[in-house]
Amino acid sequence: MNAISNKMLLSGNHAVSWAVKLVEPDVAPVYPITPQTPILEKITEFEGRGEITTELVTPESEHSAMSACISASLTGARVFTATSSQGLLLMHELLHYASGARAPIVMFNVNRTPASPWGFWPDQLDSLSQRDTGWIQLYSENPQESLDSVIQGYRIAEAVGIPTMISHDAFYVSHALEVVEVPEKQMVSDFLPDYEPENVLDVEAGRSFGAPIDQMTWNRSRQELAGSFAKVEDLVNETGEAYGKLTSRPYGALEEYRTDDAEVVIVTMGSMCGTTRVAVDTLREQGIAAGLLKVRLFKPLPSASLRKALEGVPCAIVLDRNYSPGMGGILHQELKSALYGMNDAPRLHGIMAGVGGVNVPPEKIESLVTKYKDAPTSVEPQWAE
Amino acid sequence: MEQINYTDEGQFFSGHVACAGCVEAVSLRVILNTVGPDAVAVVPPSCTAVICGGYPFSSVKIPVYHTTLESGAASATGVKRALVKKGKPDTTVLCLAGDGGTYDIGLQALSSAAERNEDILYICFDNEGYMNTGGQKSSSTPVNAVTGSTPAGKSTKKKNMIEILAAHRIPYVATASPSDLNDMAAKVKKAQGMKGTKVIIILIPCLPGWGVADNSAVKIARMAVESGVFPLFEIEGGLDYTMNYSSKNGSVKEYLSVQKRFRHLNEDQISSIENDVDEDWQRIADKAGV
Amino acid sequence: MTQQPPTPLWTNDTSEARMTGTWRSAMPNYKNLPSPCRGACPVGGRIAEWIREIELGDYKKAWTILADNNPFPSIAGRICHHPCETDCNRNQLDETVGICNLERFVGDLALKENWSFPAPTVSRDTSIAVVGGGPAGLSACYQLRRLGFKVSLYEYQKQLGGLLRYGIPAYRLEKKILDGEIQRIIDMGVDVHLNAEVGSAEALKELHEKHDAVYLATGASRSKNLPGLDYSQSWVMDSADFLAETNAEMACDLGKDLVVIGGGSAAMDVARTARRLGRNVTVLTLEPEDKLPAHEVEVVEAKEEEITFVSGAMMQSVEVNGEQITLKCIRVEFLQGEARGQFTINPIPGSEFELVTNGVIPSIGQDADLSRWQDLLNSEGPVISTDKQWQTSTPGIFAGGDVASMDRFVTQAIGMGKEAAFAIARQLAPVSNETSSPDDPMVPYSVINTSYHSTLRRHLAANSEVEARLQTFDEVQQPLSHDEAVAEASRCFSCGTCILCDNCYLYCPDMAIIKLEDGYEVKDDYCKGCGLCVAECPTGSIAMQEEK
Repeated sequence: MNAISNKMLLSGNHAVSWAVKLVEPDVAPVYPITPQTPILEKITEFEGRGEITTELVTPESEHSAMSACISASLTGARVFTATSSQGLLLMHELLHYASGARAPIVMFNVNRTPASPWGFWPDQLDSLSQRDTGWIQLYSENPQESLDSVIQGYRIAEAVGIPTMISHDAFYVSHALEVVEVPEKQMVSDFLPDYEPENVLDVEAGRSFGAPIDQMTWNRSRQELAGSFAKVEDLVNETGEAYGKLTSRPYGALEEYRTDDAEVVIVTMGSMCGTTRVAVDTLREQGIAAGLLKVRLFKPLPSASLRKALEGVPCAIVLDRNYSPGMGGILHQELKSALYGMNDAPRLHGIMAGVGGVNVPPEKIESLVTKYKDAPTSVEPQWAE
Repeated sequence: MEQINYTDEGQFFSGHVACAGCVEAVSLRVILNTVGPDAVAVVPPSCTAVICGGYPFSSVKIPVYHTTLESGAASATGVKRALVKKGKPDTTVLCLAGDGGTYDIGLQALSSAAERNEDILYICFDNEGYMNTGGQKSSSTPVNAVTGSTPAGKSTKKKNMIEILAAHRIPYVATASPSDLNDMAAKVKKAQGMKGTKVIIILIPCLPGWGVADNSAVKIARMAVESGVFPLFEIEGGLDYTMNYSSKNGSVKEYLSVQKRFRHLNEDQISSIENDVDEDWQRIADKAGV
Repeated sequence: MTQQPPTPLWTNDTSEARMTGTWRSAMPNYKNLPSPCRGACPVGGRIAEWIREIELGDYKKAWTILADNNPFPSIAGRICHHPCETDCNRNQLDETVGICNLERFVGDLALKENWSFPAPTVSRDTSIAVVGGGPAGLSACYQLRRLGFKVSLYEYQKQLGGLLRYGIPAYRLEKKILDGEIQRIIDMGVDVHLNAEVGSAEALKELHEKHDAVYLATGASRSKNLPGLDYSQSWVMDSADFLAETNAEMACDLGKDLVVIGGGSAAMDVARTARRLGRNVTVLTLEPEDKLPAHEVEVVEAKEEEITFVSGAMMQSVEVNGEQITLKCIRVEFLQGEARGQFTINPIPGSEFELVTNGVIPSIGQDADLSRWQDLLNSEGPVISTDKQWQTSTPGIFAGGDVASMDRFVTQAIGMGKEAAFAIARQLAPVSNETSSPDDPMVPYSVINTSYHSTLRRHLAANSEVEARLQTFDEVQQPLSHDEAVAEASRCFSCGTCILCDNCYLYCPDMAIIKLEDGYEVKDDYCKGCGLCVAECPTGSIAMQEEK
């Protein structure tokens, strides 16, 4: 059943702001950074007009913004923040802190090249290099998905007590205007249960968080975090399905596009998925059985589902809009690990495409497919440009 | 004899692991019992963090959030805003930080919280160095003091944090000393009754860090106050100065001589410190109209 | 419904589970240690305690504590030589607490309010004879009655008081004060026999047979004779007779100008009494002025009263020419001996001089008449010999005061009377006798945290104007007003006496001190032994004690 919604022409960033308006979190500490700033400005505009009663905090840095997020979350508040690139990197220490504290913060990150050299372009290295901080990571392809993922993000984060980061690419998504269906507030309220954590900083309970602990307790805390992470893939699928029932826009951890009988599957994340869809259609028209495997949930990586999706596929090409110096594309490395030991694993090619925000048009993807689809596995990652 | 007149309401528990004779514990006791049960504390890494914590136990009755070293004021902001949103605007949010977490790495967050005039009561336990890590210099370490990272004595002066804070024009900034618990309790009470950012800097003579005897920290703090090295004063609204102990009758030299960290000072260094103390004192006294 | 996974990271108990007491090597010990004033006090008075009660406004309690060791606070508050004030720790900050003035304040209030000593809680059949109604005898009577013994007091004079009545002039001790404090003891049930001399060994033996014990405190009423002075001359008068007569308000027959010979307290009393009788007085002393045995204040007051001192000199011979008596004197070198009263002198050749006068009153000390009992009691030099329990060579007969000691201050006699009473009691009946261990060291100034005691000048009792003094025998020293007394009491450090100020309790970093109704207790489980409580104690009444 389709809930009532409004169609609006929104940039990716404003779509995020609209999601925040619908969720109306209790506290939102935010700090401006290009190209995240429109998210912040729209939220402050909503608050200024009295359309939301969120407590906005405008501190001096992303670091302080994240500090406030964690403590507000542990005080029982539903929390939102947004950042990008340098800001995310400045938060790094606290990203670990947030997951250790099991604070179900939802943060939006606009993927942008980290300095140096200075650049403001779409590149996923900022968020991917936060891989080990213990955050759930979702990558969004377009403004609609960004809006929908923020709403779903709260349900996911709060259900397992893990902070959740959703990213979309700078400019390609953040500043691109698209028609976005904005759900009614009531639908969102119904979809999100009240946030009532068991442990909060409460004067009645008097329990404290963060006191120094012994080795074994620290070890146990990691194992418990691992146990929670193990539930995330199913949770993302269930949440996406439930959301789909309300909006006719179902989501999952992975999305397969025209992968039936595919001889080559392109695996990628974010806005690259949209371009790839076009390339896949063209290739199919040319008689090449190409398909897209979109990785929406990067962390935890749905390894078993990826193996299943690529079972019997002769060739898989990973397009990474990022470069981990000395290693290669990060999704490529992750996928290699996921497929390790698989009997009929596809020939795998890791291509760094569009690193630094270089435009990757469908034709480029088509040519990469042509180049690699019959080649033996590339042991080393390859540069598209 | 003036009686100490705050009441212990059981807000701070025995069994904490502060060094024997630590006056940070004494001060915590005053602060926690003065602030009372309707409060949440935020504690960055510091001696206080060690004193409060030690999972699974807490030595503090109110809930404590242990945060990162540079985050004290920002974390306190988060707690306060969440409480406001949850309909508990009157719950006091305390931030209990050391001088490292205040003068150094936490200054950025504190300055921002002060600029936003966040409704928090920020206490800095100033033991003039990174004492919890074994005694290295911070920007609060006084000139000539020997620390683990200034073995020949620090070459620069202690940061004037109190007036840096006053420059933010926040409602209340004050100094306090464990040698005057009534004054400390009164300042905590006064600050708690105000809205906005309130900061109290408390001098904590560190037994191992300063090289003084286990039973002497109150005495040393008293010497600091009476010699004018650490004047007790308040600044309201950034401009209105009040001196709480307006006579300067103790000896700076004696204060220095009882501490191992100053044992190497020569006469010139001592008289230079004495001059600094006199000048600082006079400047504050002038502003306070004393 | 939001579900968060169980997390172990939130605290679930208080730190009280952690026993930090194991860190400790020493623990604070609350022990009311003796104050230096108490150590110096001849009666062992709990001075810090009763002064504290004045500060708190409970004067009756102050008096009760005071009277525990001394039934004569009003008298002692006037004439005690107050070694307590000499030893007072406060001297090292500014100046002594005016203990004597405060004692007088409490004593006078007790008389004014007619406070009486409580009746003994036990009654015993054992009876004790006390011979001599001076300070030592009366003090013994008082303590023995409190312990429940039957007491018979034998006094050879027609009134009680001994030296207090016949030796101390009224300008120092008003008679009604003396009468009041004596009567309060008699009212406890003392069987008094006046004009009852025990003048021989036989009589003493008889008395001993009638009683279970005898306490001999007959004083030293016989004046020492100055060699080379003819006491039979009309211009010579013995000082004891002079004081006894003037105290009995008889006139003096001596001429206008008088020389008093002697530098002790009695000599000052004689000289100042003579001034009040309109005489010009010169005091001639062997001792140089800074070594006079009289109390400094007595000398000062004597000088205020225009008495001339000729010190460090002695009389060698006398020439009489009608009413004009010429004393041939010489300057001497005075060398203090080791014991009190011991000295050697060397006349300085060529320093001869003369004093012309109308009369001479020698006042060089008094002896006890021991010969009357020599068959029964051994003596040692000028006094009856006793053991440490004040028992004489005859078991059951005890002695004290001037007859048995060369410590001749009034309060020393009072203290001896007390000690003998307890010794007698211990011998005759099982009585509890709680006194603090004499081994405990006095609280030194160094353990007093003076930051809790601001510098304050003493509230000194005023003296009446010199002109007015010389017209009458009214008391010179005026009482402290109520406010002065309370303010003066508040100057006391209360050395060694817990004043329940809570400093130890509130300064404990470990909440290891518990408040009790009348003190504190240390929680063994948590005390880390830092000693901050001791350092911040304003009275030095806690001390760290090593463990194992």
